[in-house]
Amino acid sequence: MNLDAELDVWRRQWQSGTTIPLDLRKRVERRSRWMKIGLIADILVTVVMGGGSTVWALRSWQPDTVLLSAAIWLFLAAAWTIVFTFSRGSWSPSAVDTAAFVDLSIRRCRGTLAAIRFAAGLFLCEIAFSLGWIHHYSPEGRKPIWTWLFFSSLRIDIIWLATLAFFGFLIWYRRSQRAELAYLVNLGQSVGTD
Amino acid sequence: MDRAALERHFDGVLAAHGPALSRLAGSYTNTPSDRDDLLQEIAIAIWQALPRFRGDCSERTFLFRIAHNRGIAYLARSRSQMPGLAEEIEVHDPAPDPESELAQEQSTARLRRAIHRLPVAYRQVVTLTLEGLGYGEIAEVLGISESNVGVRLSRARQILRESLEDRR
Repeated sequence: MNLDAELDVWRRQWQSGTTIPLDLRKRVERRSRWMKIGLIADILVTVVMGGGSTVWALRSWQPDTVLLSAAIWLFLAAAWTIVFTFSRGSWSPSAVDTAAFVDLSIRRCRGTLAAIRFAAGLFLCEIAFSLGWIHHYSPEGRKPIWTWLFFSSLRIDIIWLATLAFFGFLIWYRRSQRAELAYLVNLGQSVGTD
Repeated sequence: MDRAALERHFDGVLAAHGPALSRLAGSYTNTPSDRDDLLQEIAIAIWQALPRFRGDCSERTFLFRIAHNRGIAYLARSRSQMPGLAEEIEVHDPAPDPESELAQEQSTARLRRAIHRLPVAYRQVVTLTLEGLGYGEIAEVLGISESNVGVRLSRARQILRESLEDRR
């Protein structure tokens, strides 16, 4: 083996022991933890909302509760579709190196941004259905629609407040994800990915 | 450069050179936790020095010079020039398909141990060479002449070759 070839072999071996920057590794691990927590939360919501509404519908066996239960299951199915679609391939890096970790983080960010858009649409559908359902089946619904919609009862007020809080959170989260994506794309260019 | 730009620059520098700096830190330390501690020190030193970087040399030379200075300071502090626990030296992170890379891992581990056993002056020259620096850059990083780099590298390679042969 000539001297340069020997050095080349050593160089490849030396550099094959690539370690991932601590900050990036922690970022990916933190996100993985949150994804698992999110999955558990989704399962809990499915069990509580889906199961609860089903039990209620079976006990009362009234058209309103049956409709509510069916709609809840429909929304849950839509929510799970979003979860599966946008988290596919985002659970673990394709390799244990810096480029793969950056690539995974970028995919997660893009998936989250797309999921935020769909979540906002789904939430609007849920709110529309909830308001329609309450208006149709509760005595409060006999008031004129515009009077009823705004500040006619505590339940409606809570729905509006929840909507405001949810969209406030979505806007903030979207902004933070976009900033993170910009940072990661920049990082990706530094390490030669994306 | 404002703070936000400096932070972005710092993040970019660590992303681009982090693995090399980690390997250099590993060449001065005996355990993964010591390596991470030294890497942290190096990162802090880079953060403090980065605003003063005026482009007199390449950024890589600048970073490696800081890394080696911190490495030397670490050795002076810990008085651990001789690695005692070769089996604790972390070789690298686990690969997705460990079986297929076993042979590669073993020879890599042998090389790392052999480098780790070199005297510091030789170890520095070898690690910088293996990171792809030329004689001129190494001379700048270590503050020695290019001919001295050549002499040290030649001796280091001889020792490495013998060490790797012995352990085959």
